[in-house]
Amino acid sequence: MRLVLLDIDATKRRNFDPLSLSRPIWELRCGISSLGEKLVARCKPAQTAAFVVDYLVPTTRARSKWPVNDVASLDGDDLLLVSARLKADALDALDTGGPSTVLTAQDGEVLCAWIRKEDLARLKKASIAELLASACAAFRPQVRDLPVWNYAWDLVLANPAQLTKDFAATGKSGIEGSIEEPGAIRGSRKDVYVAPGCTIHPMVVIDASNGPVYLDQGVEVHPFTRIEGPCYIGPKCILLGAKCREGMSIGPMCRVGGEVEESIIQGYSNKYHDGFLGHAYVGEWVNLGALTTNSDLKNDYSSVSVVLDGKAPIDTGSTKVGSIIGDHTKTSIGTLLNTGSFVGAMALLLATGKPLPKHIPSFAWFIEGVVSKGFGKGKLYETAKTAMSRRKCQWTQADQDMWDAVFALTAPQRDEAVRKGRKMMARQ
Amino acid sequence: MATIEERVKAVTARVLKVDADKIKLEDSFAADLGAESVQSIELVAMFEEEFGIEMEEEAALSVETVGSAIEFIADVCKQQGVEA
Repeated sequence: MRLVLLDIDATKRRNFDPLSLSRPIWELRCGISSLGEKLVARCKPAQTAAFVVDYLVPTTRARSKWPVNDVASLDGDDLLLVSARLKADALDALDTGGPSTVLTAQDGEVLCAWIRKEDLARLKKASIAELLASACAAFRPQVRDLPVWNYAWDLVLANPAQLTKDFAATGKSGIEGSIEEPGAIRGSRKDVYVAPGCTIHPMVVIDASNGPVYLDQGVEVHPFTRIEGPCYIGPKCILLGAKCREGMSIGPMCRVGGEVEESIIQGYSNKYHDGFLGHAYVGEWVNLGALTTNSDLKNDYSSVSVVLDGKAPIDTGSTKVGSIIGDHTKTSIGTLLNTGSFVGAMALLLATGKPLPKHIPSFAWFIEGVVSKGFGKGKLYETAKTAMSRRKCQWTQADQDMWDAVFALTAPQRDEAVRKGRKMMARQ
Repeated sequence: MATIEERVKAVTARVLKVDADKIKLEDSFAADLGAESVQSIELVAMFEEEFGIEMEEEAALSVETVGSAIEFIADVCKQQGVEA
């Protein structure tokens, strides 16, 4: 059986902006692994293939071990086509031993489809869209209310429970790295995994009394760090006297200090210094300046809204939502982010001493309290190249082409904010 | 109606807090008028607002003197069909 991951709905994937601007949804994290890894682990396919919106194909291909947007992967085997938004457990609804089946959402979006190899011959499959349309015509789709991820904050809110579940699934436990004394492990050692190559300095507390703690290979934990489970720290991260509260997932190569709680950091990002990050999702190559702090709870305890498109607030239904911050964004020292802030990708924020607006578009230069065009995207690309080279990663032409596409995609929100910014500047 | 030169000098004076009468065409925004990088961004935004134009930021920020800015803005106005 071949699993085919789908992230081709250009509208619905925008609900995961700014994180999905630069990656397929299946690369987003929740718990210890990505959404794609969870679907693969659940299906145990012989092969996996993937389809994503066109502008993301070259960069996704460059880092994926799976064929991407290759129509040859739509033939020659039983196919299990799955939306990247589908929660892995939802696949229990599909009988992969039975006849070809298509399950859709109320609006007709194909959430998953099981197509037997012998049925493929009579379906059109020149493109993924054609195959899905052909399968819907051939197999009479069943409308099901299957659990899906709808927004980026869904992942943050589900993270603590998912961490506990994923830790159990790894079957890992014990100390394979080095822990220097004095230090303390609270709770059961069975709920702690310290991978080979980890170095835990003296005066570190790992508290697994309320959930498991998984430190991946090569993690370095500096003195006076406290790590509360459930928690996952990715390969080669460095924790710098951090107060790592429960529910944290940190991808590879991050530097984290200060206080962090129930947040996800995709990878390669720095939150080196003091400042609070709570119920946030931070992309890759982000740098949060010293004392950058986000609010994740309103003073009246009402549910938090997030403005994804720069216009209409969306009620998250949760009283705790912090910031969603896109790749390559940098904040200055002392940046204050409001509850439920949307900070686009490739943005540059200079603090004003006040909480920033709740929506900062991608590629915006937030300076003197307003959104401006700043020095333009060329300067941002130069900075991105430098940041990546510091971690031995290369900025490629494919990266630049992808970001050029993101620049165009996000222009309407940014242009409107820049126009408003100019008017505000003129009034000052 | 004020000329492009007068309007550029007025905006420059307001943003950089200098006397408009003392601004010369050969003055460099940074070296002579003291514009810091953030103020350069503000200047570009204020010229756009003043003239109702959109300037390509990297090209605009490469303009160094007041005289060059006047020529640059006049050119953009012409290209974008804006009467200045």
